[in-house]
Amino acid sequence: MTRSSLISLLALTLTTTAAAQDAQTVRLGFFPNLTHAPALVGLQRGTFQKALGKVKLDAKEFVSGTTLTEAFAAGQIDIAYVGPGPAINAAGRGMPLQIVAGASEAGAVLVARKDSGIRSYKDLAGKVVAVPSLGNTQDISLRHILNENSLKSKTDGGNVTITPIAPADVLAAFAGKRVDATLVPEPWGAALEAQGHRVIGTEKTVWREGRYPTTIVIVNAKFAAANPQLVTAFLKAHADTVAFINRSPAAAQAAVNAQLQKLTGTSLDLRVLQRAFARTRFTTALDLAALKEYAALNVEAGYARSAPDLTPFLRK
Amino acid sequence: MTVSPLSPERPATPPAAVSSRWQTLALQVVGLLVILGIWWLLTDVLKLYPPYVFPGPKAVWTEISYGLWGNGPQDGKLLSAIGGSLRRVVVGYTIAVLLGTLVGLLLGAWRPLRATVGSYLTGVQSVPSIAFVPFAILFLGLNERAVLFVVILEGFIPVALAVSGALLNVPPALRVAGRTLGAGPLSLTLRVLLPASVPSILTGLRTAWSFAWRALVGGELLIAGSTSLGELLEVGRNTANVALVMATIIIIGIIGGLFDTLLRAAEGRVRSTYGLEVPQ
Repeated sequence: MTRSSLISLLALTLTTTAAAQDAQTVRLGFFPNLTHAPALVGLQRGTFQKALGKVKLDAKEFVSGTTLTEAFAAGQIDIAYVGPGPAINAAGRGMPLQIVAGASEAGAVLVARKDSGIRSYKDLAGKVVAVPSLGNTQDISLRHILNENSLKSKTDGGNVTITPIAPADVLAAFAGKRVDATLVPEPWGAALEAQGHRVIGTEKTVWREGRYPTTIVIVNAKFAAANPQLVTAFLKAHADTVAFINRSPAAAQAAVNAQLQKLTGTSLDLRVLQRAFARTRFTTALDLAALKEYAALNVEAGYARSAPDLTPFLRK
Repeated sequence: MTVSPLSPERPATPPAAVSSRWQTLALQVVGLLVILGIWWLLTDVLKLYPPYVFPGPKAVWTEISYGLWGNGPQDGKLLSAIGGSLRRVVVGYTIAVLLGTLVGLLLGAWRPLRATVGSYLTGVQSVPSIAFVPFAILFLGLNERAVLFVVILEGFIPVALAVSGALLNVPPALRVAGRTLGAGPLSLTLRVLLPASVPSILTGLRTAWSFAWRALVGGELLIAGSTSLGELLEVGRNTANVALVMATIIIIGIIGGLFDTLLRAAEGRVRSTYGLEVPQ
């Protein structure tokens, strides 16, 4: 390593660890999923940018909580919409984050390929089940479902193969018969259902009668300490957006579709969108009991040796 | 005692070589300690990096020890991953060696094949194995077979090229001598050409091992869902557990290096048996 590269490396570490003083931009992370509708609608309607005033909003989309957490760890994201799974893991590793609000609840379904012969959870034995990524919220849920039905994943010496596939690619994986079932967040579940595949676990039977957080809002603790007013402004915009979604679902669905079209180049069939919406609840409330249970399930799934105490990570 | 021209007696190791071997080992140990020391200094002492970006040796050691001999409900994952990956690489490597030997023999025996297929093989070898993963998944599904396919594809080419190259490089005098003594094409290949090319074939086998091992981890990383080192890397990454990622990388390196060392030792032994190593 030459001296100049050493110096630039040091400079890099200093810049990434230094707290952002009076940020000129707010970097927002989110996924192009329906369970992230508050992010999509807020972006589409310009609510976030309006709330931040002169400070520029820089929205970055991610495929999964994994890549988002990596960006978060590298200090490239200030505020993020993310599933509780990755958030709890990041907190457990000591990342400087605060859990500041809820965004959506339920909205995850277990869909089986129409010709897979799977009709109930018990039939998952010996099958290949896809999750968006290993260690994400749906993966943790799936392992819990297997546990409840005295099944085990291959990695734990059982016979259910859990394989990570991006939800957008599951359609093709079903068509090629490479996967038998999948636990996905909406709108992917409704999209698969529209293709004739069978929902064997609805958003309510997947876990806790449907009372579980699927997306929450986290902020970088250093960013929050340096820019409390920006965080407050953003959270107000987030709450307004959630209220708007619940007040005018039709307009919210149109906004979601317009934003998805912008981000992914494809929009959803309106009926698919309505069905997906019907399975998802949008709320800013944080269900602490459910988060704690997630942390316990995360340990049960073998992704952490202990459940972190979430109290220090909640915004006072 | 009769000595065949191809296998002279092994020259005894001179005493100087023994002491230099100990010196090398001592240097290696010191080097390792220095690296560990710098790592510990950068992370645990100076705390230049947060632990979720670059964990210290202690955190990584925790992952290694729990992963290898822990007895909690989720411990021992590294051990089972090593087992799964080794089983897979042994199967893949064995098939690759058999297939490679067969293809190599055909290439060595038949010039038109060498001119066509032989040159393509070099081209295929220059494509990273990861590039074949999408194909493997489409044709074989998300499973063991897809990983094995990538391993075999990556492993058999060096063997095939080594075998065919070695056959071509056998000194003509040996061929002539064999024929004169009445060997037909088959027995000439089996009893003269192959034994004479053992050293170069061994080099090919060693290359094939490192290729196969690399292809295996890459394939497992992309075709997760099995108990494997590749999957552990993915899990570590997905659960923000950088210590697990580093522990897995270290294990992958140790296993790869260990087998390479063993094959290198076998190779050296054979080379000196064949009189190719001049004692220093």
